[in-house]
Amino acid sequence: MSPGAAAALLAAAAAAAFLTDRIAVVALIVVALFLVCLRAPAARRWPYLVGALVSGAGVIVLSPLLWSSGAGTLIWEGPTIPVLGPIDLSTDEITAAVLSGLRLTAVALAFSAYALLLDHDRLVAAGGFARRSALAVALATRLVPTLERDAAGLAESVRGRGIELSGPRGYATLLSPLVAGSLERASSLAEAMEARGYGRAGSTRAPRPPWTWLDRAALAVAAAIVVVAVLVP
Amino acid sequence: MTIARVEALSFAYPDGSPALRDVSFELRDGEVVALLGPSGSGKSTLLRALAGLVPHFHGGRFSGRVQVDGNDTRAVRPAVLAGTVASVFQDPEDQVVMTVVGNEVAFGLENLGAQPATIWPRVEKALGAVGASHLRGRRTVELSGGELQRVCLAAALALEPRLLLLDEPTSQLDPAGADAFLGSVAAAGCAVVLSEQRVERALDAADRVLYLEEGRLLFDGPVAAAREWLAAHRPRYAGRESFAAPETPPGEALVEIEAARFAYGDGPIVLDAASLCVHRGEIVTLEGPNGSGKSTLAKLAAGLLVPGAGTVRRSGRATYLSQDPGRYLVRETAIQEVALAVGGDGRRAQAALERFGLGFAASRHPRDLSSGERERLGLAAVAVSDPDLLVLDEPTRGVDPDRRADLAAWMLAEAASGRAILVATHDSGLPADRRVRVGTAREEPVAV
Repeated sequence: MSPGAAAALLAAAAAAAFLTDRIAVVALIVVALFLVCLRAPAARRWPYLVGALVSGAGVIVLSPLLWSSGAGTLIWEGPTIPVLGPIDLSTDEITAAVLSGLRLTAVALAFSAYALLLDHDRLVAAGGFARRSALAVALATRLVPTLERDAAGLAESVRGRGIELSGPRGYATLLSPLVAGSLERASSLAEAMEARGYGRAGSTRAPRPPWTWLDRAALAVAAAIVVVAVLVP
Repeated sequence: MTIARVEALSFAYPDGSPALRDVSFELRDGEVVALLGPSGSGKSTLLRALAGLVPHFHGGRFSGRVQVDGNDTRAVRPAVLAGTVASVFQDPEDQVVMTVVGNEVAFGLENLGAQPATIWPRVEKALGAVGASHLRGRRTVELSGGELQRVCLAAALALEPRLLLLDEPTSQLDPAGADAFLGSVAAAGCAVVLSEQRVERALDAADRVLYLEEGRLLFDGPVAAAREWLAAHRPRYAGRESFAAPETPPGEALVEIEAARFAYGDGPIVLDAASLCVHRGEIVTLEGPNGSGKSTLAKLAAGLLVPGAGTVRRSGRATYLSQDPGRYLVRETAIQEVALAVGGDGRRAQAALERFGLGFAASRHPRDLSSGERERLGLAAVAVSDPDLLVLDEPTRGVDPDRRADLAAWMLAEAASGRAILVATHDSGLPADRRVRVGTAREEPVAV
């Protein structure tokens, strides 16, 4: 499937999660997107999955306590905390929190699938305009794992001398060399790009594969998902 | 036919002493030239001058003339020379732009304005030429270092250059990987300038040799004559030097690993039932192809990793020098960098800097040092605390024969003083009491 069609499906799934009020439907979207993300290599997918699931779970756990709907059955009534006000828990708040948490998870998983599985340097470039901006996005995406690896290398270099890094302050000392290393890499990359003709007049584009019936079907399904979500909220 | 002509080229970087001094030579179509010389001799600068990156990208003082395919490199930008000239640099991580292999190889062709209909066939052909067709749809972040370097070569070959410039491209590859890489280069048919520290391999691949030292071209001639010249004038470059084993009898065991098993996260098993014992006063090398688990076993020995199964028993202090240590320096001055491991003890740090010939650099920022100086600084930073066990990960990677000999002598002296040294390496010529063969031929992903 072409990245454009796949991106349309992911966007439709995320949009549908916001358009529908049915928890079961949003949960179904979350499960489907989670399964899609599992196709990515294990070593790369876990930060995305943990981030998406923890964010969603955080909303589900915290938001009923921090917001009072005034409706539904009151399950628990707690103390009044300055600034936050009365802490309570009602069925209405729990329902709203689950829906919001699942929606957030759906969007995060859709983004994760985009980042992990799609050929996004082609996808962004397919817009046909702003090639430099598209390239900047592709480079930023590609360099995130390099940054992670450099950070791990710096920490290992210090630990290898028998020094244990602990707490945010310990790791913060690595920030400056990490930034300096990134600048060095950026300079080397710029040099390599110039040596490969970047910035030369008259550039062309490699032709994209023509859309197949599967791509068209995916686009139709994406549109249908959004329409159904609008018509049957 | 001449593809490049260098006439009386001298060059100095904006804040440095001359990197090239009065260099002159010609390159002919189809010849493979080995560019040899110590670290800091000007090899990389010369390659950058042939690509036009010197002076356009780096600035500096440039005199003389470089012509490539009839173009004066001062008059045309490197991007214009691209296509006629293609470069592959030492670290593939610093040159890959796109996220998918096929797009990466197509990137240069798109920049050059190749006919769209020809781009994918040329990508396929180039990937096929380096034995990487199966990687076309893979994401670049998921490739091993060796795979990524092959992709970089494919990206260069796809441009169908007349002149291919290779700056220590095999330094991260095991011997089999390096041979395969150079085989692909030889089959390309264009003129090649190959800068290499693995001298024997470069001589085997080349028709002609240029030898640089302190920016001067000391030798230019065919390989047979080069072997004679090197044997007479730079014997360490004439053949791979092997070093005798230490003579001190080993003492008590400092680390004992039994039946260790290890995997990174939920990835594949890197080590299975691995056992190793290192004694005081002993030098042990871990050898094996890329991805065989040498570094992992070394990190287990140093206490940086904990095995999933099996046992590791250690006594005494261990320190670990990572691959490419010059990239992982963390302090603002060289003396602070070294003092980090001894609680800020400036006197011990200064003594360690002197021992590694870096006394002059105490107050300099580590990133202002040359690559060779940075590596020595990394070594000083792990040796300063006088550990019982020193674990070194690929310490001769990209190291010239003179520095390799210095390192070997230092290892022998450290072992004689009662220290144990464990080395993960592709270099089978280093001194060792025992050589341990590790693992299988699976390549280790860069991102682990």
